[in-house]
Amino acid sequence: MNKEAPLSIAERDFILNALREGVRLDGREADQLRPLKVSFGEEYGHVKVQLGKTSLIVRISSEVTKPHDDRPFDGLFTIALELTAMGSPAWDNGRQGDLETYVTNTLDRVVRHSNALDTESLCIMKGVSCWSVRADVHITDYDGNLVDASCIGIMAGLLHFRRPDAVVKDGQVIVYGLDERVPVALNITHKPLAVTFHTFDEGRLVILDATRKEEQASEADVVIGLNNAGDVCFVSKFSGSPVDAMVFVNKTNVALEKVKEINGVIDKALQADLAKRGKGGLAEQSRAENDR
Amino acid sequence: MAPAAAASPAAQPTPPSLSLPPSQFARLQPHAYLLAHLSPPTTSNHPSIRANGRAPTQFRVTSANTGSLTHTNGSAVVRVGETAAVCGVRAELLHTADIASWSVTQPSTGSANKRRKLVDPTLKASETAGDGDDEESSDKDESHIEDLNLLVPNLSLSTGCAPGFIPGAPPSALAQSLSQQILSLLHSTRLVRADDLRIWYQPPNLGPEDLERHNESEQMDVDAEAEGEKNREIKAFWVLYIDVMIISLAGNPFDAAWASVLAALRDTKLPKAWWDIDNETVVCSDAVSDARKLSLRGMPVASSFCVFEADAAAGWRAVILPDAEEERKIAEDNRRGAQRRWILADPDGYEEGLSQERACIVVDKEQGGNGKTVVVKMEKNGGWAIDGRELRQLVDVSSQRWDHIRQILEQC
Amino acid sequence: MVGPNVTLTPLSRADGSASYQCPSTGSNILGSVNAPVELPGRRDALKPEEATVEVFVKPGTAPAGVGERYVEGIIKTMISRLILGREKGYPRRGVVITLAIVGGQSARRGDSYLTLLPALLNTSLLALLSASVPMSMTFSATSLAVTSTGDILREPTAEVASSAASVHVLAFSSKGHLLLNESQGAFDLDTWDNVRERALAICRGTASYGSDGDVTMSVDVDGQPLEGTIREAVEDQVHRDYAWSIDAV
Repeated sequence: MNKEAPLSIAERDFILNALREGVRLDGREADQLRPLKVSFGEEYGHVKVQLGKTSLIVRISSEVTKPHDDRPFDGLFTIALELTAMGSPAWDNGRQGDLETYVTNTLDRVVRHSNALDTESLCIMKGVSCWSVRADVHITDYDGNLVDASCIGIMAGLLHFRRPDAVVKDGQVIVYGLDERVPVALNITHKPLAVTFHTFDEGRLVILDATRKEEQASEADVVIGLNNAGDVCFVSKFSGSPVDAMVFVNKTNVALEKVKEINGVIDKALQADLAKRGKGGLAEQSRAENDR
Repeated sequence: MAPAAAASPAAQPTPPSLSLPPSQFARLQPHAYLLAHLSPPTTSNHPSIRANGRAPTQFRVTSANTGSLTHTNGSAVVRVGETAAVCGVRAELLHTADIASWSVTQPSTGSANKRRKLVDPTLKASETAGDGDDEESSDKDESHIEDLNLLVPNLSLSTGCAPGFIPGAPPSALAQSLSQQILSLLHSTRLVRADDLRIWYQPPNLGPEDLERHNESEQMDVDAEAEGEKNREIKAFWVLYIDVMIISLAGNPFDAAWASVLAALRDTKLPKAWWDIDNETVVCSDAVSDARKLSLRGMPVASSFCVFEADAAAGWRAVILPDAEEERKIAEDNRRGAQRRWILADPDGYEEGLSQERACIVVDKEQGGNGKTVVVKMEKNGGWAIDGRELRQLVDVSSQRWDHIRQILEQC
Repeated sequence: MVGPNVTLTPLSRADGSASYQCPSTGSNILGSVNAPVELPGRRDALKPEEATVEVFVKPGTAPAGVGERYVEGIIKTMISRLILGREKGYPRRGVVITLAIVGGQSARRGDSYLTLLPALLNTSLLALLSASVPMSMTFSATSLAVTSTGDILREPTAEVASSAASVHVLAFSSKGHLLLNESQGAFDLDTWDNVRERALAICRGTASYGSDGDVTMSVDVDGQPLEGTIREAVEDQVHRDYAWSIDAV
């Protein structure tokens, strides 16, 4: 049962007819996000994202490993996403569905391949040891738009995460515990985010941040990944009916606006969390040190 | 046995032409069949006995054979009744240069333990302190085995070992959890000494040094050891790949698998290996006389049990279950009357299919069998028949089993 | 001692869910239960007269391995015995329990899962209650470490457990049965009896056993018994859920 229960014809027609009149089920505008809440846990890199009724938890972790032989200067960065029956009863535990492959693939391209995390900065000793950073995405509630929500979670996690400080001394790597030295923030080159649009009526109607039911009623989806500066790092029109090329042009501007808005929310949450940690003293210093 | 079974519940009222042979009765009404054996009618003279002819605390005939696989460093075949397990131990070298975490230290660990993985120093201290007896010196870096995964057990249930195991299937949940049980028992009993797995390098100014010199059994001058420690360097480790294959599964795979691992490790010989400074590599001697056996810590033996309940439906029926106090009273009353449950040692496949509650106890005896019995692992799950008193009895049964297994292992 | 932090039904898609945070180990488990559901992919494994219980444990920061399969087996064996899988609507269907370790340390490969096991068990129970799965009794589970000096520590962290002489996980039913025991490390039965007594005090309090002074003392140390905490969490939730009908009366 790797499929959600299909929409009834009446439900589909209702959603479509409402959209034709410019109304969405939850009363949003076509280009409006659902309420977004980003919060951080006690550990570094522990993020909870709530986008409408879609919610997920991202945990970032790091360990020292050996780099790949062909890339001795690069650290490792993996995004692990597994859909479990927790997110939706339609997902089977331990079996990979189409959605899982699709979302993992998209996240890989938006975050990893755009080099948002500078993997060269994770190198400790050439060819011997490097940091391996792992982002685990736990989907806890699924109500549409997994790609955007996971992307927000991963980026916020990477920005929030601090790895232990490591120093090389006479061929020895010394790793300082989190309480011994101020932990180091990751080197984030830019902050790309994905923005997903869904199209209806042969591409005439385009909405942003669809819910699960809207996703089911839609004809096709368009994913645009870009950063605050407006550099596009990922565009996809994966399946479904054709979409007018102008949609990409027009919606890229909308996406940029949204990326700035979301990054604003993340920054605000980060600052609030830092202020909370700042009372401890160590974190405040770390912020000053890493603001370069 | 057969007439007793046929005479009880099912067959009595039916005309003789319709009576079932015992083998069919066993398949059609397995629960009633086993129950009829365990609680024969009081009028008959039959003793309460399991369908396979064993007494409740009797284990199956066990045999072991070591060294049968030539291309392994140690191997064993253990048969417990119809269940048979083959275990092969293969040792491979792991250079410290290939271990990413090897060159990592934590500053607080201090210079003495320089070349060491991230370990909490306080933790280490308490571990050594806790060890107490003669093993103090060898225990300092015992965590190497766990941190670097020097023991890699893998259990597979081979195709056709029991009906339902088809070729090409991924490792079943049963095989995976048995592998994990063997791994965690190897770690928690610390059966293999980390010192046996290390390959040292001693800079030449002190002269070449044998591994034997550092066996903890040898009494060493404290100064000499301290001096040696300073220059000595671990260059490589032996990694033991412990592959267990259950070639025939008729219940109770864990006991057989663990016994085969134990027998194979007792049989394992590692060739003499040293660091060759000119070639920057580890060299092994091919002289059989140079190879040495592992010195294992103790000899933990596993015994498994299952609980057979007279009322098969007691667990799931939506009736009010007696609470623990009432339960004890009922049990007391029943001591005189009809028994409600039986704890069966070393269950075969048929009995396992009829029971939900399991217990597994691993015991060892101090001083090679003369000391007191130490429990190293005790599990019970899947029901509420076994509590403190029953566990006490089971530990006694397990310690008898220990003596028995020791005899078998020492003979092979 | 501070009791666990319990939230019932924090998720909206799953039939039942619970979040459980153990204060002393810091582990935070999110559990969900879907029941009864169709399991078309497991048609041969379905039992004709009973529900099929499936447990899935998802580690927080690592891929799942043999350790997870093993702990899933333990939880499944224990829970299957308590679920009334022959109630109407349950036979030939599945009870799918998903447990994600969303906070605190995950177990490394080869580590025993014993320090996490009580939290996983308690979370499963709460999630099952939240999904209204019929059960014959409830339970509560705890872990204890015995140090080399013979002290018994409640709910040890992974570090403490790895340096302890033995680690024990015990679960008691709401009727006082010993449902589960997982002990690892060298110990003798007298030690185990003390462990059992302490675990019973933690899980169920000592109301019915308070005969000698020693035991009554441990009530103060352990605070409210776990079973009471779980019961209260459920009662509070029910009270909130039915506030409309209670107010109407």
